[in-house]
Amino acid sequence: MRLRTWVFCLNEANQNLLRNPVLAIASVTTTAISLLVLGVFLLLTVNVNAIATSVESQVAVRAFFAKNVPQSQETAELQTVRSWSQVRTATLVTKAQALAELKKEFGDQAKVLDSLGTANPLEDSLSVAVQKPQDVKAVATRLSHLSGVVHTTYQSAVVSRLFALINDIRVVGLVIGILLLIGSLLVITNAIRLGMAARRREVAIMRLVGATESLVHWPFILEGLILGGIGAIVASGLAYWSYVAAYHSAVRSLPFLPLVSPSPVARDIALLLLVLGILLGAVGFRISVRRLARV
Amino acid sequence: MISMRRVTKEYPNSVIALQDVDLEIGKGEFVFLVGPSGAGKTTLLRLLFREEVPTSGSVIVNGHDVGRMRPRQIPFLRRQIGVVFQDFRLLPQRNVHENIAFALRVIEAHPREIKRRVAQVLELVGLSDRGHALPAQLSGGEQQRVALARAMVGRPVMLLADEPTGNLDPQNAEDMVRIMLEINRLGTTVVMATHAAHLVNRARQRVVAMEGGMIQRDELAASYHVEVNR
Ligand SMILES: Nc1ncnc2c1ncn2[C@@H]1O[C@H](COP(=O)(O)OP(=O)(O)OP(=O)(O)O)[C@@H](O)[C@H]1O
Ligand SMILES: [Mg+2]
Repeated sequence: MRLRTWVFCLNEANQNLLRNPVLAIASVTTTAISLLVLGVFLLLTVNVNAIATSVESQVAVRAFFAKNVPQSQETAELQTVRSWSQVRTATLVTKAQALAELKKEFGDQAKVLDSLGTANPLEDSLSVAVQKPQDVKAVATRLSHLSGVVHTTYQSAVVSRLFALINDIRVVGLVIGILLLIGSLLVITNAIRLGMAARRREVAIMRLVGATESLVHWPFILEGLILGGIGAIVASGLAYWSYVAAYHSAVRSLPFLPLVSPSPVARDIALLLLVLGILLGAVGFRISVRRLARV
Repeated sequence: MISMRRVTKEYPNSVIALQDVDLEIGKGEFVFLVGPSGAGKTTLLRLLFREEVPTSGSVIVNGHDVGRMRPRQIPFLRRQIGVVFQDFRLLPQRNVHENIAFALRVIEAHPREIKRRVAQVLELVGLSDRGHALPAQLSGGEQQRVALARAMVGRPVMLLADEPTGNLDPQNAEDMVRIMLEINRLGTTVVMATHAAHLVNRARQRVVAMEGGMIQRDELAASYHVEVNR
């Protein structure tokens, strides 16, 4: 179609929207809300996933030595542990290293550790990574029998709870998101249908004087795209900027959380929301098009 | 221009609106389609601009086989045909000029061409000074002339009119027929379905009389009723 015909169709679409501003605002708002909820859940899932992966990679059994165990004994036991077939790696973490690591994790907040002065309340430990997650328990038991070891810890319970949580968030987010998407699709479809009803005369005359079907359809397609598109722009803008803001404040106050940097992910999700919104408009038209078949 | 061969039209509710109709209308003719209510006049016209398809038989309009044409071709048939109805069918929110221009804009005519042609048809129907009026601000006769201008602005080879004077007073009805005869004189084929006996009688044109879906009479320079005293 020619440029002036696009302008004509856009004009007709706009007239439809202006004829029923309340419905247009309702369409845009419901689209924006449903896409925003979807976006928030996606961002949440991505982050919880990242946290879980980082925790999982740390699944390690720690065996803590009593305070009085000499360094030479610790090194000997390190060699013993390394020879176990279930063990992937094993390292000796001195209490000095442990404190330094802790300070690093606390980042800006490391000051709270300054109150300890020169005292170090931590203990030397063996950090053991296993070959298979299911060996964790057995290795922990074996470690606890070593002489000089006072207690052992492992994180499998935390990890499995975290994975369950991710799954819940994913399912809940997807279900709510889809329900909201269906709701906004219905609202958009309704807006387009009302537009078709309001423009029956125009459509009948267009056909009578020989307008092509695509020219008859385009004003309504554009109407759907405008409604879905504006909702999507609002949602993806809100999702993007609020994630960037939340990320930066989280990085400052909770530096040890392995959050996903916004530069690829927030932009990708904003784009995804935009595409979804436009798709909503297109699908809304597809659903209503039968109304146009015979006016 | 129009060639109907053994055309039957049965509606889905199994009413047979046309039965075995044969009709030839040449280029540049003016034809009145008359007959009692339910005779099939509207149905016949609707077949000509492919609003309906024949159940059997062939309808050829300006070289297009209406019954067999593909849906994408329909718009191009309609660009060669102007249609006016009893109820005007103007767009109430648009003024006279916009109503007429609408027909050209939706077939992607050039804006300069649109301006020129709208002015021409407004002059043809005698409404050059009413371009900015809304339909509601016009009399019935004026509204029907706007509808006629819209039908003619695309320079169709054929004008179909279904009881165009049905809602008009006698004076406006006569004006309407006068303009249509003028349009015909300029070369456009005209088919007009009507109940208005006096208009038919005065015009002395070809009359096709229908009844019960069949053509009863087809005479040149004829009148509405059969003239028994001749
Ligand atoms: N869309 C339709 N569906 C079913 N039957 C129809 C339809 N249109 C017309 N008919 C029937 O077909 C027959 C012919 O109708 P048509 O409208 O062609 O008559 P007409 O000559 O134009 O009458 P009038 O002078 O009242 O306008 C009538 O019996 C009518 O009831
Ligand atoms: Mg009729």
